[in-house]
Amino acid sequence: MTDLNPAARNASEATVRTAGALLGVVSIPLAIVALIVLGSFVSPSFLTVRNLLNVLNAYSAVGLAALGSTFVAICGGMADLSIPANVAMGALVALGAQPLIGPVPAACLGILVASLGGLLNGLLVGYMRINPIIVTLGTGFLLLGLSQLLIGGGIVYAEPSAFGSFVGGTVLGVPVFVWVFLLVALILHVVLSKTPFGRWTFAVGGNYDASATSAVPVRFTKAVAFVLTGMLAGMCGVLIALANGSARPIIGSGYEFVAITAVVLGGTSLFGGRGSILRTLGGVLIMALIGNLIVLIGLPTPSTGFVTGTIVLIVVGVDAYLRRRLGTE
Amino acid sequence: MSGVNLRTMGHLVVQYRLLAMLAAIAIFGGFTLDDFLTANTLRSILDRAAVVGFLALALTPLLIAGQIDLSIGSIMSMSAFTTIAMQPFAGSLPAAFIGLCVGIAAGLVNAAIVVVLKVNSLVATLATLLIYASLVLLVSNSQPVSSTDPMFGLPLTSTMLGIFTPRSMLFIGAALVMFVWLKATPSGRTLYAVGSNLSAAVSAGVNANAYIGGAFVLSGLLAGAAGVLQALSSATGSPLAGSVLLIPAITAVVIGGTRLEGGRGSSLATLGGVVAFGALTTLSEYNGVPSYTQAVYTGLILILLITLDKVASGGEGKTTRARRGARTTPTIKARNP
Repeated sequence: MTDLNPAARNASEATVRTAGALLGVVSIPLAIVALIVLGSFVSPSFLTVRNLLNVLNAYSAVGLAALGSTFVAICGGMADLSIPANVAMGALVALGAQPLIGPVPAACLGILVASLGGLLNGLLVGYMRINPIIVTLGTGFLLLGLSQLLIGGGIVYAEPSAFGSFVGGTVLGVPVFVWVFLLVALILHVVLSKTPFGRWTFAVGGNYDASATSAVPVRFTKAVAFVLTGMLAGMCGVLIALANGSARPIIGSGYEFVAITAVVLGGTSLFGGRGSILRTLGGVLIMALIGNLIVLIGLPTPSTGFVTGTIVLIVVGVDAYLRRRLGTE
Repeated sequence: MSGVNLRTMGHLVVQYRLLAMLAAIAIFGGFTLDDFLTANTLRSILDRAAVVGFLALALTPLLIAGQIDLSIGSIMSMSAFTTIAMQPFAGSLPAAFIGLCVGIAAGLVNAAIVVVLKVNSLVATLATLLIYASLVLLVSNSQPVSSTDPMFGLPLTSTMLGIFTPRSMLFIGAALVMFVWLKATPSGRTLYAVGSNLSAAVSAGVNANAYIGGAFVLSGLLAGAAGVLQALSSATGSPLAGSVLLIPAITAVVIGGTRLEGGRGSSLATLGGVVAFGALTTLSEYNGVPSYTQAVYTGLILILLITLDKVASGGEGKTTRARRGARTTPTIKARNP
């Protein structure tokens, strides 16, 4: 097929491989540094502790959904497009149930209901083996409609509570949102890199049939990744609702794209077998900085979507190219 | 044994779902509403189904080719906005043509990303969904524009031959032309080969990239047509015109029986699915069902049908790997007596 002799081809393949690996290691810190440098030129208020904490705070909640999406992507489930619906479910239930059972149980109930949404995805994707994008598009539409039905299409307000003001406040000068995000990231990092479930996740995404033959519970692993994402999306909704004091069904719109972008920006492949929680952490940080820059420069809001979509295209395009060059696909 | 029975049952339900659904809607509508079973209702159903219908037609050849375009709703929004926004500068008819060209251009971009950059079509069009939607919001400043020539699009929804309107005629005509193309011409039949077994088609000398790329451009054109029709008949160019129509379009296609796994389907099935879905929408609107309830049942129908499709074709099959390259032919074909 090619006029190169095998040795030369191996050499060029090795170069691509090394370049790809190098790019994978240094690109995230490099991008973060570049964005910070760029930001400090754009606005004097960028490089202040207050702004940087705000940046982190604003993306910590959606970052939770990105952490779940990392499991979904690594196990070969591509992406969960029902994140906005589960965010809305979590938020609306957490506030709607407050007068009946109190703020803390209501928050737990919100997370539980969102997890059920994730379970529906998990059963359809993991056990029925239906295309995850189609499934989560459908369940997202369904659950968002259901959440509107639940409250009659309006808005739900929170009752003032100590728990609500705690969630919206800070501990040791750092917002509670950031603490929650970092804590969950730490736990999931350990789960993904140190436990059998983590190894199953990589195995299922790397080679489904071989994993099934090797007695890996392939269906269970995929299903759990979606349940986890539903749960974290619910947690995201609960946090935002409590901090804002109100919730509407559109509370999480666009979050699925932020989550996907953070995942692929970190270098986790949407087609499975590769990725890490730390990379997603980096991806969330980059997304947060880009979002902040867009605000500081004063670009209109839809620019975020434009930039996000373009980033996904570029990263996935480069990923596809590298995979082709390496002959892994 | 029970597995086989379940599968046969599932197969029956899947096969006759269109008839079952239409019959159920007719019966329920006849009982709950006095004037549901009239030519007037049929005209209204067909007329209102035309926009979703063009989106569903956009999806049909792509799904047959084993690909998908999630950006059709956003393309529709771009075309709808362009059609109205260009009217003062270009005149009404050229503006509509420009709207169509926007659709074709968006389809070309999708085709290039999928065919040249080799990005999986689900991910590629998910990204362009977001990009196109943001682009039209940016250009329009998130505000709809009103037509400077509102009379121009009015005839599109006027009654023709009792039960038709010009825009429903356009949709039905497009579905018939597509049916003839898919079933009776070599290029149409090759599209099925590309979708049912890509590597075999390539081995047989088919230029699969050209077929897949062409299907994306066609999808852009038809999604653009949906936008132009919607904009002209409502005399408004909304940057959000198509944003909520992706799922209804997919649902209509799936109701018709075109499979999401590629290699099977027809535009007449899509026509049937669109009419059935339109009848359901009209029925619920006549009964005063709020729009979010419609979202609930739309999502339910979609999930239920793709699950049934899966059961009927053998849920344990190897067809659902996200990578669309390594697909096997549906097992149901081999079981025909």
